[in-house]
Amino acid sequence: MHDTLGMMLCESCHAKEATVHLTQVVDGRVSKHHLCEGCAEKQGIDVHAQPMDLSGMMANLKKHLAHLQDAPATVRPPAGPAACPVCGLTRKDILKRGRLGCDHCYDVFAPDMLPVIVSLQHSDQHLGKVPRRASERMKSSVEAARLQRELDRAVASENYELAANLRDQIKALPAAETAP
Amino acid sequence: MNGRMTTRRGSAVAYEEAYGLTLSSRVRLARNLRGLPFPDQATAQIRAQVLQCVQTAAREALPIQESLADSPRLFRQRLFEDHLISHHLLEGRPESAVCRNADRPLSIMINEEDHVRIQAIRAGLALREAWEDANALDDLLEQQLDYAFSPTLGYLTSCPTNVGTGMRASVLMHLPGLVIMSEIEPIINGLSKIGLAVRGRWGEGTAALGHMFQISNQLTLGLSEMRIVEDLEAIVKEVAGHEQNARMRLKQERGLFAEDLAARAEGLLSSARLMTAQEALERLSELRLGIALGLVKGLDMQTVDRLLLDVQPAHLQTAAGRSMSGEERDVERARRLRQELRRPAKRTAKRNP
Repeated sequence: MHDTLGMMLCESCHAKEATVHLTQVVDGRVSKHHLCEGCAEKQGIDVHAQPMDLSGMMANLKKHLAHLQDAPATVRPPAGPAACPVCGLTRKDILKRGRLGCDHCYDVFAPDMLPVIVSLQHSDQHLGKVPRRASERMKSSVEAARLQRELDRAVASENYELAANLRDQIKALPAAETAP
Repeated sequence: MNGRMTTRRGSAVAYEEAYGLTLSSRVRLARNLRGLPFPDQATAQIRAQVLQCVQTAAREALPIQESLADSPRLFRQRLFEDHLISHHLLEGRPESAVCRNADRPLSIMINEEDHVRIQAIRAGLALREAWEDANALDDLLEQQLDYAFSPTLGYLTSCPTNVGTGMRASVLMHLPGLVIMSEIEPIINGLSKIGLAVRGRWGEGTAALGHMFQISNQLTLGLSEMRIVEDLEAIVKEVAGHEQNARMRLKQERGLFAEDLAARAEGLLSSARLMTAQEALERLSELRLGIALGLVKGLDMQTVDRLLLDVQPAHLQTAAGRSMSGEERDVERARRLRQELRRPAKRTAKRNP
């Protein structure tokens, strides 16, 4: 996939083009890094890694959850209820089927699903169409995310004039919705 | 109808240019209704409710609405061969339906893996147009349907591989040059590294039957629909360039082989008495390549493309108006191919006394 907004510089050496784009999820918090191949390798990142398929992902998630089930209660993340109150699916069901039961599952199992989604999709933010009947707050929220991505790119390529412009556009948006 | 032509018309050349490499473009959007379990998890009553809601919302745009659960197997098989229903619905899932219009570039599936699957198909490389068609239908449905949507994760789908735009854009490409020149594998591997999936139209990987490949986006989140379309379009053009190049080298470096391949294909298709679907698709693909390389005279690609559909089991049986056993189909398929591809008998010159 090509970057239509020009070259992005490596955030470590600031000299070469950033070709490795990393999205990390640590304790449910998402951070993004843009590195050149050399710096990425220095940090021990497998730059030739391929996107995983769902079955691989699910197998990993299974391992991840098996570990959580065996671990003492104190290590468990602040998980929601064991079953979705709307469709009744449990974590175990979702792992087995590789599919969620309803839209609420995305909320209920967010701590488990977010890392899976990020690994599958290499992203945690929708930048596409918003239903026309969605609230204005929801529309601004997606628009803010889109502008923020452009702002990140502008900063990375040291285009500060564009960055300032984008920042103003984000500020001008009506209050956005942050929760899913 | 006989596909033979005495002269190579301009329209045949235009057809080859438009559809020779990319046969069709498809955009699919996955949507679900807010607050209701996805079809697999829903009760029959909820699925019936979804079915009714969506059918009502779609009635004006898609007046042909057919229930799949209690339909004959042959009917579903035909819709599957036409790409109108998925493998999932081929089995006749309960409370499922397909809605379409008479021209059939647009359709929806109800209660497949998601409540609604919108699909737009266009001939040739026309992903933008297919997206515009699907998007307009989506807007229309949305006037009456309340979709499951999150500002961070976009459209919420049963499988997390579809979440976000819910969009799968794909093109069907004929790539015999790359397969014969053994150059397809690095291309398939390369495409998968940049977030695209390559599948055989009939069969997987390099063993794809009839050299027909479907290339589609794998990522659905973090990219706008237009970006997905533009990226895929750029890649398709690149792959088409590689295919053109491979075909040119095939003709230059292995010209006799290519000519032999096309002539054998034509010989079998126009003479055989028994022909399986697999053999028909393989030989038709070779014939299609021969036409593209200018090695087969007096036969147009459009006829071959029509036959690629018509030789499939459900199409064959629907045309004949009855269901047939495997062997009966092979006889009928061979008869049909002979009828379509037979060359007009050559007049034998009278000898001078």
